[in-house]
Amino acid sequence: MRAKLTGWVLGFIAIVLLFLAPLGLQNSPYLMHLAITAYFYAILASSWSLLAGYAGQFSFGHMAFMAIGGYTSALFGTYIRLTSAPTNLCREIPVGNMWLVFLEPVGITQSGAPNCLEIARESFAAGTVIIQPSLWVGIGLGVLMGGLFGLIIGAMVLRLRSTYLALFTIGFSEILRATLSAEIDITQGQSGMEMQPLFPQGLTVAGIFFGPASKIPPYYIMLALFLFCMALMGWLTASRFGLFIRSIREDEEAAAALGVHVVRYKILVFVITAMMAAAAGAIQNHYIGIITPNVLIILQMSIVIAMAVIGGLENIVAAAIGAIVIEFALELLRNSFDIGPFEIDMTTWRLVFFGGLLMITLRFFRNGLIYPLLTRFTRGNVGAETVAKRQATPTEIPPDDLPPEELREAPHA
Amino acid sequence: MLELNVNHIDKNFGGLQVLKDVSFQVRGPELIGLIGPNGAGKTTLTNILDGAIKPSSGTVYLNGKRIDTLPPYMVARAGLGRTFQVTRAFRRMTVMENLLVPALALHATARRKTMEAKAREILDFLTIDHLTNEYGRALSGGQQKLLELGRLLMLDPALIILDEPFAGVHPRLMEVIYEYINRVNSEGKAIILISHDMDTIFTLSKRLLVLNYGDLIADGDPNEVKDDPLVKSAYLGEDDDELLLATE
Repeated sequence: MRAKLTGWVLGFIAIVLLFLAPLGLQNSPYLMHLAITAYFYAILASSWSLLAGYAGQFSFGHMAFMAIGGYTSALFGTYIRLTSAPTNLCREIPVGNMWLVFLEPVGITQSGAPNCLEIARESFAAGTVIIQPSLWVGIGLGVLMGGLFGLIIGAMVLRLRSTYLALFTIGFSEILRATLSAEIDITQGQSGMEMQPLFPQGLTVAGIFFGPASKIPPYYIMLALFLFCMALMGWLTASRFGLFIRSIREDEEAAAALGVHVVRYKILVFVITAMMAAAAGAIQNHYIGIITPNVLIILQMSIVIAMAVIGGLENIVAAAIGAIVIEFALELLRNSFDIGPFEIDMTTWRLVFFGGLLMITLRFFRNGLIYPLLTRFTRGNVGAETVAKRQATPTEIPPDDLPPEELREAPHA
Repeated sequence: MLELNVNHIDKNFGGLQVLKDVSFQVRGPELIGLIGPNGAGKTTLTNILDGAIKPSSGTVYLNGKRIDTLPPYMVARAGLGRTFQVTRAFRRMTVMENLLVPALALHATARRKTMEAKAREILDFLTIDHLTNEYGRALSGGQQKLLELGRLLMLDPALIILDEPFAGVHPRLMEVIYEYINRVNSEGKAIILISHDMDTIFTLSKRLLVLNYGDLIADGDPNEVKDDPLVKSAYLGEDDDELLLATE
């Protein structure tokens, strides 16, 4: 009880520090950028931990859901407008007393010729209104689209496990990347799509103005999303949902024989984690200002997996801490240094360090580096409690009655 | 009162017919033994009853509701629970969590605290209450068997199928399982007991089903079944001493 209370207090202090961090970091745009990116990866790593560590769905498609969120918002912002009069040139549908206008694909080879709306604008009556819908609508659509694809992929992989599931989701991710690269007219291919900043006109809070390029509003937006996702996942893992997905991970048939609706929970966990990845993707790419198909390369997914594994695959908090620490460590390790006459170029060697850390973790710390520390707060006294209870029962103790010490530790993946 | 009707079940795996026109009924809190040599079809029949596999033909009704077309989770909620031949405790979940899974799956609105209190009573009865917060993998083989039995009590089914509950179990824990079976049966639940341990089968069962290469060759009082010529030729042909010793 005391250990749990300590855990809660430490958690609260950590959240307060995260909220106050811009006071110390605001003079360093670089560190602010690192923090925003760290929260982005923390959402991805922790939601992937829920999917793979808790539910046992070892998917490599998480970055694809992230990209779906980003690209949906980018496409929405680029191609959707509202007008108060029909253009009669663009594809359009009436919505109430407005018109929903779909601009034609611009493509990377655009000649600079005006699009249908710009031509139509010439003939618009005075007072005709043209509105670019809020990017937050696009982000919302991105989240919904992520959930829809999560539903489809979750349903398609119901019967797949381990290697087959991993290969299937790699295939899905590669198909998406190839499609986004190939549809140059719509997505501008490898050049990527420009995305509006999160606050195009800046933001005024309590009389303080933050310009469109300020990193403080994106910091708090990403932090809020991160904390919301963590709170939601924390609640889910502590509820019957968490219990059921873990039982499915352990043994699908046994879980079903005990009344667990395996199909429902396997699909649900895909949908929920896909929506989180999509939300993170949409916000992060609006913050960066561009999205390209390169966000889908296998290395990006590998980094997310490595962050979760090094932190602790079976705990969302451990995975999130792992992501934040590794994001900062990887960047801060960029500083090259000399050893005698040799210059150590850390821009390359830091990845070697990262790979080495991953290998050491997998070989010697299969619960990750952070998770064992957290279990001290949650399971510190279990062994002593078991022995005390057994000793309090005056019956003959069979030789196999008490579990060996090493099996009391948190089980690894 | 419980009513299970198994009607003309066939099951083919490719060209291999594993079950052939198997029919039997269970009425009320019977304690039934199901025996047969290896490959007789006992586990296949169990898997069909719990919905894990579908029969090639035939039907199964539990209390008037057809269950052979239902997925396993619905069969469990309809009132049929089972254990597995190889223990399937959730190894990376605590003993308490193992017990909460069926309870919370069955009762959508149940309060966790209430179910935890019920789980503690069951663990106490099964003599593994001291292991409440240990992971499933930390339990011995026998304790994992008890854990599986505990999960069934939390599921509270009308019909329980126990697949080899005594295999590899410490003698003291065997006593606990004996007590479990008698108590659960006396509380009004029907039990189908599958075991290769003939002593146990003949001690506990009030009725015996014998499967032999997919055929249900006998169904009746254990003392009558043991004298059935078909059983003798099929079962005793494999291991005369085993059945004779058990029935003496």
